[in-house]
Amino acid sequence: MQIYVCIKQVPDTETKIKLNADSSWIDTAGIKWIMSPFDEFAVEEALRVKEKTPGATVTVLSAGPARVVDSIRTALAMGADNGIHIEIPENADNNLAAKAIAGALKKEAKVDLVFTGKEAIDDGAAQTSQLIAEAVGIPCVTVVLAAEYGAGTIKCKREVEGGAFEMIEVSTPCLIAAQKGLNEPRYASLPNIMKAKKKEVKALKLADVGASEADQKIRYKNFQLPPPKQAGKKISGDPAAQAKELARLLHEEAKVI
Amino acid sequence: MTWQTFLFLIVAGIAFGYSGKKFLTLWKLLKAQQGTGPKLDRLPERIKQTLSNVLGQKAVMQKQPIGIAHATIFWGFMIITIGTIEQFLSTLYNGITFEFLGPVFTGLVALQEFFTWAILLAVGYAFYRRLVLKPPGVGKSKDANFVLAFTGSLMISIIVMNLFHLVAAQPDYAGSFFITSHLVGLVGDVSSDTAHTLFTTFKWVHMLLVLGFSMYIPNSKHLHIVAAGPNTFFKTLDRAKPMKTIDFTNESLTQYGAAKVTDLSWKDTLDLYSCTECGRCQDLCPAWNTEKPLSPKRLIVDLKDNLYRNKDAALAHKYDEVSPLIDEKVTNDVIWACTTCRACEIACPVFINQTDKIYESRRNLVMMESSFPAEVQAVFKNMETNASPWAFSAADRANWAEGLSVPTVAEQPEMDVLLWVGCAGSFDDRNKKVLRSFVNLLKKAEIKFSILGTEEQCTGDAARRIGNEYLFQTLAQANVETMNRYSVKRIVTACPHCFNTLKNEYKDFGGNYEVFHHSDFLARLIKEGKLKSTKKVAEEVTFHDSCYMGRWNGIYDEPRQVLENVPGLKLTEMKSNHDQSMCCGAGGGRMWMEETIGRRVNVVRTEQALATGAKVIAASCPFCMTMMTDGVKAHDKQDSVKVMDIAEVLDQSI
Repeated sequence: MQIYVCIKQVPDTETKIKLNADSSWIDTAGIKWIMSPFDEFAVEEALRVKEKTPGATVTVLSAGPARVVDSIRTALAMGADNGIHIEIPENADNNLAAKAIAGALKKEAKVDLVFTGKEAIDDGAAQTSQLIAEAVGIPCVTVVLAAEYGAGTIKCKREVEGGAFEMIEVSTPCLIAAQKGLNEPRYASLPNIMKAKKKEVKALKLADVGASEADQKIRYKNFQLPPPKQAGKKISGDPAAQAKELARLLHEEAKVI
Repeated sequence: MTWQTFLFLIVAGIAFGYSGKKFLTLWKLLKAQQGTGPKLDRLPERIKQTLSNVLGQKAVMQKQPIGIAHATIFWGFMIITIGTIEQFLSTLYNGITFEFLGPVFTGLVALQEFFTWAILLAVGYAFYRRLVLKPPGVGKSKDANFVLAFTGSLMISIIVMNLFHLVAAQPDYAGSFFITSHLVGLVGDVSSDTAHTLFTTFKWVHMLLVLGFSMYIPNSKHLHIVAAGPNTFFKTLDRAKPMKTIDFTNESLTQYGAAKVTDLSWKDTLDLYSCTECGRCQDLCPAWNTEKPLSPKRLIVDLKDNLYRNKDAALAHKYDEVSPLIDEKVTNDVIWACTTCRACEIACPVFINQTDKIYESRRNLVMMESSFPAEVQAVFKNMETNASPWAFSAADRANWAEGLSVPTVAEQPEMDVLLWVGCAGSFDDRNKKVLRSFVNLLKKAEIKFSILGTEEQCTGDAARRIGNEYLFQTLAQANVETMNRYSVKRIVTACPHCFNTLKNEYKDFGGNYEVFHHSDFLARLIKEGKLKSTKKVAEEVTFHDSCYMGRWNGIYDEPRQVLENVPGLKLTEMKSNHDQSMCCGAGGGRMWMEETIGRRVNVVRTEQALATGAKVIAASCPFCMTMMTDGVKAHDKQDSVKVMDIAEVLDQSI
């Protein structure tokens, strides 16, 4: 069984985001890069399927600048077998990333299962997974909390709006986008970290995967930081007066009611 | 040559043959261990401390009255063994006696007489202690009772033998038997021949008991009489004990830490052989005393059982067949319960290093098996990405110092001392205040100091003690590189964990610095007259010892000196203090783990602090600060009892 995991490298959750000189992108200097946490669930799920399936291999793909190879190695250290890096510009959009990854997947002899995170925590777009599935021509199930693997089909439990769950049975090959709760990602063992350092990561360019800069549909400009958080307000008085004041503030200042 | 010679040769041959074979197996088992043991160094010091601890019984005597009882038995056996040798020789060749030594002989006989009765008394006390007093650490032990009965029987056989010797031979040195000689009347009217036969009979009873004992020793906890001496000789000489550094560049190394008992070292095995299950370790263990499954004594006994169980595979070097170190007795919960407070090691009269086994097992669990309490994973990740166990951006590390005009080492490379802030001082709100007080004091004392600012990273202490040596080394190398780049010579820190790591563990990575804990540094500034307390602080204060200050580095007096220097302050000790102090529960990475079994260590320790009636609990460690503060809240005393760092207390008085 050939299993693929698509991951994205994102700034660490504790990063204080700054903008670059012309506000066209974030300032990447000094950023600690990590694998997007939802993608860790995807890697873990792929490894668990592999461990139950004799002969299965897990290949990790990531599109991005040269630095993303570090995150591919993180996935290799967790236990993935192979890595593929497709070089795309720093400020590529979801469509270009999806086209690049889908192009790389289509070059593979056989794709049985693709895992992704339900979204990346940097742009939170939650659309690259669907775009990849569309481009490869396989069905996809997103926001998956639990998966039951059968012969040729997978029963997925997915989260939908309002705290409800949806059960979907999908035929393979397919793409599954992981939600937090699908599993507990493992911590890489040291022998695997050592091995991962020596594993070869296949390097591909846009041209190798049949994609081009023309696949970028979004041009970014004028990034802005959110306004600084204001100090909390304490409303005093008797309950009736407090309620009245709260309603006034929500209406006049916050303008939410 | 008589029939006795032949009989003795046969019996002794069987006995010594049997025990000799057993000892040889134990030796081979020790040699079959795969871990790296310590190297032999500092010979004169080793000989000196072995003499004082073995012949002088120094460590044994630290607990009374059992210490004096043990010393009596030990010294007595040394003396009586001379008589036993004489007895064996005289049986081999009729007529051999040490009588030719003249007055030395009669003196020796008197000494033997004294110790025979003294041992009997000591054995009586030991029985009374085990069967009536029943101290908790000792527990029930058939083995112990058997050994005591054996020892008592040996003495009784000597006394009866001597009694008949006095009757039969009426020696001119009869006065040397200054107690037994008064019992001659009890024998009644027996002929000299009968008395001689009875003397020979009891001589044989004694010899057979000795030989029987020699067969019993290798399989029992009494093995300590052979192993504890060498174990004392090879003990860790210094108070500070850095953890073993793993060489990750050594590619032939495939096993990190101990997955199996055979992955431990020969010294660890000697530790296992040396344990006589006295329970001093267990009595002081904060995990055991709060109902965790870890008892340092059980750990050692269980590891020994594991080794014996795997004896055949280990001796045949078939390490694949050796069962895992973690089993139904030594569970994961046992390994993770340890706060590495080291109370067990300091209490151990035969210098067993219990924490080494815990550390080696953790290393295997973390690095080889990725198996550890789930909540620790986030801690590792934070340390990997942001060089702090807390989830804060590394870019914010120096924010605590805003408005304090504290220069970074880049801004002020020339300095008296580098202030190592640590993660708690940088990110924990309560401990940021401690750092502010300490900075105040440094400024008042006109000390020129700098901080590393955002270039400082976690020392890696927690990672190392949890078992993630790889992560620890990554952090250690980065910090050493940074500090050496700035030619740092002296460091002061308010964190005992940082202190211990910087001072004792960075040497292996090229970091050689003069490191001070702030308690020591402040005590010096007070002595030098650079800090003068002028304001009264009329408070009753109790000081909680930090394990990594006290037991790991022997620093007990300095924080107390800082407190006692404050006018009006009354220092009250808790019942357990100094080496017997109880851990707050946060050491060994426990700070980052949930505590789900038994009572909470910090709550129990805080109870001890509250019992003093002091209104201030003084700490000298950020983790102790957190644990004791939580403990005070758990007892609902936060309105009346404060937890303060010694720097904060001192700062109030200046």
